[in-house]
Formats: sequence, C-alpha cells, structure tokens
Amino acid sequence: MSLDEVALQALNGLSFGALLFLLASGFTLVFGLMQIVNLAHGAFYLAGGYVGVAAFGASGSFPVAVAAGAAAAAAIGLASERLLLRRVRGQELPEVLLTVGIALVLADACLALFGGNPRAIPIPDTLAGGVQLGAVTYPTYRLVVLSLAVGVGVLLYLVQHRTRLGALIRAGVDDREVAESLGIDVPRVFTAMFVFGSALAGLAGVVAAGLLTLRPGADTDILLFALVVVVVGGLGSLQGAAVGSALIGLVDAFAKVWVPELSTFAVFAPMAVVLMFRPSGLFGRSRP
Amino acid sequence: MITVRLAKAAAAAVAVAAVVAAPYVLPSYVVSLLTLGFIAALLAGSVNLLAGQAGLVSLGHAGLAAAGAYGVAWATVQGLPLPATLGVAGALTLAVSVLYALTTMRTSGIVFLMITLALGITVFGLAVKLSSVTGGQNGLTGIRRPEPIGEWWQFYFFTAAVYGVCLLAMAAMARSPFGLTLRGVRESQSRMISLGYSVRAVKFTAMVVSGGFAGLAGVLLAWNSEFMSPSAVSFPRSALAVVMVIVGGTGTLLGPLVGAAIVVATEYWLSSYLERWPTVLGVALILVVLFAPRGIVGGLEGLAGTLAQRPRRKEKS
Amino acid sequence: MIPRTWQSRRTARLLLVVVALALAASACAPQEDGGDAQAGGSVKLGFISPVTGFVAALGTDMRRGWEMYWSQNGGKAGDTTVETVFEDDTGDPDVALTKARRLVEQEQVQLVAGPILANTAYAVAGYVAGRGLPTVQMTGADDLTQRKFDPLVLRVGYTSSQSNFPAGQWAYEQGHRQAVTICPDYAFGWESCGGFVSAFVKAGGKITKQVWHPLGTQDFSTYVSQARQANPDVVFVGSAGGPDAILLYKAWTGFGLKDKIPLIGNCCFADQVFLREVGAEALGLQSFTYWVEGRESPAVQNFVKAYEQQHKEIPSLYAAGAYTMAQVVAEALKKTGGKIEGKAFIDAARQVSLSDSLYGALTFDDTNNVVGPVYLTQVARREDGTLWSVVEQSFPEVSQFGSEGKEAFLEHPVFSRDYTGQ
Repeated sequence: MSLDEVALQALNGLSFGALLFLLASGFTLVFGLMQIVNLAHGAFYLAGGYVGVAAFGASGSFPVAVAAGAAAAAAIGLASERLLLRRVRGQELPEVLLTVGIALVLADACLALFGGNPRAIPIPDTLAGGVQLGAVTYPTYRLVVLSLAVGVGVLLYLVQHRTRLGALIRAGVDDREVAESLGIDVPRVFTAMFVFGSALAGLAGVVAAGLLTLRPGADTDILLFALVVVVVGGLGSLQGAAVGSALIGLVDAFAKVWVPELSTFAVFAPMAVVLMFRPSGLFGRSRP
Repeated sequence: MITVRLAKAAAAAVAVAAVVAAPYVLPSYVVSLLTLGFIAALLAGSVNLLAGQAGLVSLGHAGLAAAGAYGVAWATVQGLPLPATLGVAGALTLAVSVLYALTTMRTSGIVFLMITLALGITVFGLAVKLSSVTGGQNGLTGIRRPEPIGEWWQFYFFTAAVYGVCLLAMAAMARSPFGLTLRGVRESQSRMISLGYSVRAVKFTAMVVSGGFAGLAGVLLAWNSEFMSPSAVSFPRSALAVVMVIVGGTGTLLGPLVGAAIVVATEYWLSSYLERWPTVLGVALILVVLFAPRGIVGGLEGLAGTLAQRPRRKEKS
Repeated sequence: MIPRTWQSRRTARLLLVVVALALAASACAPQEDGGDAQAGGSVKLGFISPVTGFVAALGTDMRRGWEMYWSQNGGKAGDTTVETVFEDDTGDPDVALTKARRLVEQEQVQLVAGPILANTAYAVAGYVAGRGLPTVQMTGADDLTQRKFDPLVLRVGYTSSQSNFPAGQWAYEQGHRQAVTICPDYAFGWESCGGFVSAFVKAGGKITKQVWHPLGTQDFSTYVSQARQANPDVVFVGSAGGPDAILLYKAWTGFGLKDKIPLIGNCCFADQVFLREVGAEALGLQSFTYWVEGRESPAVQNFVKAYEQQHKEIPSLYAAGAYTMAQVVAEALKKTGGKIEGKAFIDAARQVSLSDSLYGALTFDDTNNVVGPVYLTQVARREDGTLWSVVEQSFPEVSQFGSEGKEAFLEHPVFSRDYTGQ
C-alpha cells in the first residue's frame, strides 16, 4: 500500500468519523448530563434528515435544509423529553426502554411519510467536485463535513469549559442537589440539553443526506456506530466522542481495505475488547 | 393459604388443558403461531433470568440462540445423526455462552448492555460472513425435524413441553440459593463481596445457564422454520426479546410468556391486517413503561396483592 | 425488592403429570387445515412481499405491479376469477414463512407468489413446495432453478448471473482487457459478479481486483478508492440497488472518476430510484438488464403510461417483475382451464411463451427459469426531461446457463466469493 493510498484511506476514515462525531457528541452530552442512553437518537437523525430532504425539495437551498432538519429533530426531542422521559427521570432502565419505544414509532412514521426508497440531497454546486490533494482528487463535500465536525467539536468544548452555561451544565452533572440549592433550574437545563442533543442529531441527518443516503433501517445502523464511538470513548465524555469517532472511522476504513471479509463487524469486536479492560471507556469516568 | 394454592393449581391445570386442546380446536396456522410464541417466550425467559434476578439486561441474546440454531442447522445439513446434532448444538452454545460470560462478568448496568450488544452483532456478522458453514445471507435450507416431532402438531406439543420444563427449571432456580445470590448481586455488589461471594463467578454462572436456555430456544427455532438465516438472530431479535420481558414484567415467571404473546401477535398476526404494526408495538412499550413499570404480569400481581391485603386490613381495624 | 415467584411445589408436580398426559394424548393427530385444491370458476392466490422493513420500497412496488395486471384484466384469467390475498414479510425469512403458512393453511390459497429477497424466497418456496403447492418466484438466487431445482417452483425472472453473461462478453469486445468488479458481499453479489467474470475471463480478459462490500455499506469511499488504485480498463458493478447503488455512484463521481474509467452496471444498479436521487450525473451510464422502462415496445409503453398515471412514478423492475409473474400465472390458468394442481400447473406455466412481455420475447427452460433477452441500456432523458433508460443493443434468448450448456454449467459450484473465472 503506497503512502498516497494510506493518506487517502485515512481521509476517508476521518471524514466518516466526522459524521459519527456530529451524531455521537449529542448522544454523549445528553448521557453525560442526564444519564439517559437515548436509543432514539438514530431515529432523530433519520427524521431530521428526511425533513431536511423535504425542505431541500421545497426550497432548493442547502442551508434551509440544514436548519429545517435540525429544528425538526429539536422539536421531536422537546416533545419526547417533556411528555415522556420526564415522567421516569432518573430511572436508568425505563428511560432506555422509553427511547426504544420512541424509536420504533418514529422510524415507522418516517416510513409512512417518506416511503421506503432511499433519499438524498444533491450536494450544492459550491461544495460539489473535488479538491486536488497531491496526486489525488478528494471530494470537497467530505472535507467540508470534516471541518464542520471539528468546528462543532471546538464550539462544544468552549461552551462546556469557558461559559456560564457550561458551568451550569457541569454543575448539573456533578451534584444536582447543590446546583438546585444555588437556584439553578435543573429540569430546565436538562430539557435544553436534550433538545440541543436532538438538534445535533438532526443536523447530522441532513449532512448524511448529502454524504450517504437515508432509508428505513439507517437509524439503527448509524446508531450502532455512534454507540460504539461513545462506548469506546467513554459515555458522557466529549473528548472521548472526538477520539472515539476518529478511531472508529479509521478502523472502519482500514478494515475495509485490509480485512474486507470482517468489515461488517470490524468495529464491534474492538469495542468488546476495550470494554473488557476499561469498562468505562477511554475517557469515561469510572462508574459504580 | 390452602385456597390460594388450590386456585393456582387449578389455574395451572386449566392452562395446561388449554395448551393440550389447542391443536384440536384451533386452525393449524394459529397453532404454528403458538409454537413461535413458546419459542420466543423461552428466549425471553433466558433474558429474564439475567434481567429479573441479577438486573443484567442483555441486548445480545439472539447471538446465543444463534449458536444453538446454527449448530442444529449445520449438523443436520451435514447428515449427522440426532445425538451428534444435539451434541454439536450443545457444544457450540456452551462455547459461545462462555465467551459471553467471560467478557461480561466484570460489568453491570449500561456497560453490560453495550458489551452484549457488541457480542450479538459480532455473532450476527460471523453468521453472515462464514458463508461456507452458515450459508451466508441466503441461509441454510434442507433442515428437517427429527422423525418423532416431524409433524406440525407433534412439534407444537414438543415445544410446549420443552417450554413447560424450562419454566419449572427457571422457577426452581429463582427459589434456589443461587437465585438469592443473584438478587443479592443486583441489590448490592459490594455487600456480596464483603459476604465472601465472588460476584464474577456468580455472573459467569448465570450467563452460562441463561445461554443454555437461549441456545435451546435457537434449536427449536431452527426446527420450527426448517430453515436458518442470519436475520433470525439479528439485533432486532435481541431487542424484541428484551421488549417481551419488559412488557410482560421483569423478574416475574410468566412475564416473558405474556410479553412474547403480545410481540408475536403484533409481528406475525396484526401485521397481516395493519401495515403500521411497528407503531403499535412502540406505543405499547411506551404505555407499559409509563403506566405499568413492573410490566403486565408484575402489575397484575401487584393489583392482586393489594386486593388480597384489603380484607386483612379491615380485620385489624 | 424481591419479586414474587411461583411457589407451589404441588403445582409443579401437577404440571409435569399433565405435560406427560399431553404427550400421550398427542398420539392421536389433529387435523391440518388447507391445501385442498378447488376446481372450478375461481382461484385464490397468495402474494407475499415486504411492505415494511428495510426493503419496503421493493415490496410496495411488487404489490402495485401484481394488482395492476389483475385490475387491467378484470381480475380474471380467461373465465377464471382470480382473488389474491396479500401478505407482508417485512424482509425476514421467519416472518415470511409464518405468512406463507397463514396463506396456505388459513386462507387456503392454491398458489403463492413472491417474496423477493433470496433468503425469504428460499424459506417460502421450501415450505410451499413441501406442501405440494406450486409457487412462482422472481428472486434472483441462482440455485433456486439450478442445483436446488424443485419442479413446483417456477421463476418468472432472471437469475442473478444471467443478465451479466452478455456484459462480460461485450466488455471484452469493446477492447477492455483488465476489469475490476464491485459487488455486495453476499450470494446475490457473488452471483452477479460471477456472471460477468465467467464471460469476461472466457473471452480472454483479466480480472485485476474484486472489491466486495457489505450489504448496506454506509461509506463507499474506501471501496471506490481501492477500485481506482487498480487502474482498470473497465469497472463492473453488480449492485442489489437501493441505497448501496446510490452511495457507490455518489462516491464514484465524488472522486472524479465518471469520465476517467468506464463503468457498467447490472440489472439493478441504475434503476428509477437511483435515477431520481442521482439526477443528471447519471446521464450516459450503461447497464445490462432486462427491464428497460424506455424500450420501444407497445407492452412496455402502455404499462409505463398506466402505472405512471396511477402511482405518479415510472415503474421499477419490481413492479414490472410482479406484473409479469401475474401475466404468466394468468396464461397458465388459461391453459389449465382454471385448475391449479401442483406440478401440472407449473408444467403448464413452463409452456407459456410470451412474444411481447415487459422483458421482451420470453420462454422457459426445463428447470423452470426464463430464457429471454438482455439489453445494453443507457441513461437518457425522456421528452419531459425525466431520466430513464433506453436500449442501445439487444442480446436475445439468454439462458441462465450462459454460453455453457446446462450440464457443464451445473458441474461447477454456484458462484461464490472465491470464484475467479479460472
């Protein structure tokens, strides 16, 4: 394998990892704050993506599609949190199961509304085509997705560590009672975080409609990837999600080249191994 | 107390009589659904063994069923005699169960859930990829049930009997000292450790036993379809088994059976009449979690308990 | 809190006794339902396709195609009234099997048509034929009419490899000497690529790399990069269609390969779903297939027109395939005078010969598979601007055994991942 080829496959892996990060960051932030394993996150991604495709069809504008997709997922997230999840707050298992129920209903609604055919958004002209990198042409859109993920990651890090909002969020994690005694409206912060995480899923869905396609079942497929990312990285850790997505993206890409016959589950076996030796993941806090 | 026992015995007798009468009065297609229901209930029961007693929710039990199912399927297609076929299925199930047990015995809660999920998907991936053995996506055809249970009604009775025996075994296990140890692990690991128990050994054993029941469900599954392909052991199958347990009632003996009945009825029967059956399943799950957190059987037991206690309170006052 | 358990030992003993009794009682066998063939003025058929789940789109199209044939013919085949019971198999073999049982044992249908995925088709065909009832299939799985041939199973369609034999021959004749194949890594892909590879190698070409991707691959960039690295004269894609086809082609054009390396697709690559999502980038794309929506034939154009009027889209291979299945069943019913009696019905159906079906002139070989034309097609614009495929060249009477005879063909094992044409 030449150096060029290695570099090319590394870029392929990293740009897929970038999409995974957009999805995994929302998932892990929600878990970090609220301890909710949101198995409907993939369905939020799918629904947001489909709405983005529809908005693109109506407006022809990519930014409008992104905004519509994120907003739709945020709205679904708001409804789920306010109407359902809030009723079982703090009970780990019922929360997971509720999200499974939401995922079932939402995926079926997507099939009913958008049909079973794969749907995609054509990449806008400004982002179509390729960039010359040395001897190879690399698709511009993939590089844009990569930079978008880096941008979102940096922004999330800054918000979490440099702002009052971030401090509030971290306070909610560390000691809920103290935070409440200081006059912080914890349920409200929770809702806001859940809605924000859902919006990130919707954003990822629209981005994926340009990079990949949306179809029935894409929700569980991508959710499994995102789960692997956050579990390897450490549940609740933003840095973990960043490192995990890069790692999983790379493992996926190089497994496809070197051990193609194992490619469907090449990323799951390493996850089991990581968990055996570090059950809390690479960056996770150890939990009782 | 005696009346309660009598009532329970009568209920059990009625249930068994109904099971026996079913193929004589119901259409054969409905009987095939009942057969499927018992198989699903057995798999759900194996999940319940871990979830109900030890609080360990597995999202990868279809991978354990796969071991039994592919063991039987492969050995039958190779033309091995029945004892050897069952030996292959048993050995494969044991091997996969031990693998599951070794990788999960240090964990609990969400991490346990995630590792079993990963293991289940890995087994599914192997079933797809090892196509020279498993037939890949196209699956293995030409599986035949052994002679004495070849007919559909014979297989129905056989499945019901196997389920009945497993149910009794699970009930005995829940009552046994081992069952108490498992519940101890759920309540407080640290207390169990200070009492001198090896939590890992307990979890290891529980997983291997649960894997045995799941593998048996897999054997029945392969015999039922007389066909085996990876989708029978895919992630949604594992997830549905958990849904059955939750909807029926975690930790209750009959919960998995009730849950399996509901899921099988929705997936196989309702889907003939209603295209949007996944929505029905999702809504049912949401309603149960919100309004009957102990599941249908758990909720009914609670209700029965309250009703039974009411007169006693009156006596006191 | 410790959950209650069932505490009565006496109950347990009682249960055991009753189970034993039950086993003893089971000596007298209950009656099974269904399976009686009714002669006379009407027949009841079962139709299974996935209308929910991950291949819901295909199953929905199939149902529409099947319904359209019968509604155009007044629900009759000659004097026989035809009733259909529809079932959803969700793309899962166990569900498919249970639904087949319902159709046969409860609805008492006399013939089952469908489903589409190879594993569901094997499960259904095995059960239905095992009950002595005929079944018609449109799935591609080669062995269904080859090494696992069953006289009760008729395929109204092409095997996965069948339409790709002409592709390999043609590619060589165009002057290509080194080819790369990209196919999904399961039986359908192995067979699709196998057809191309066997003909291309036989003609004298060389396969420099075979890229296998998992079904449902999300990211194709790695695979496209590998194909490019091999620097071939031509790339053959044997796709199962759907998202994989779209994603693969998007990656292909994204890496700027569209005008650099010629790419030819199989039956299911550049279908209408693909064209709707890929758009103008697909213009000029060449494929080898049997359903061509832009073929100039009255049968095809009438069907497209009627279908488009009703469903607002150009019919897919799956709609056309199910329509043709219905047509063959109807023709066979006319031959048997409305009787469906196991093998006799399939034998009658095998004698059906259609001069102008949706695929073209169609006959069947003696292992119940279609012998029919394959077309080299190109993506073009219709007058109204819609993208569709038109015929560039026809290859008549292509058999499932390619240019080899039946005996020679059946001597080697079914195409697999390891098949290299040697």
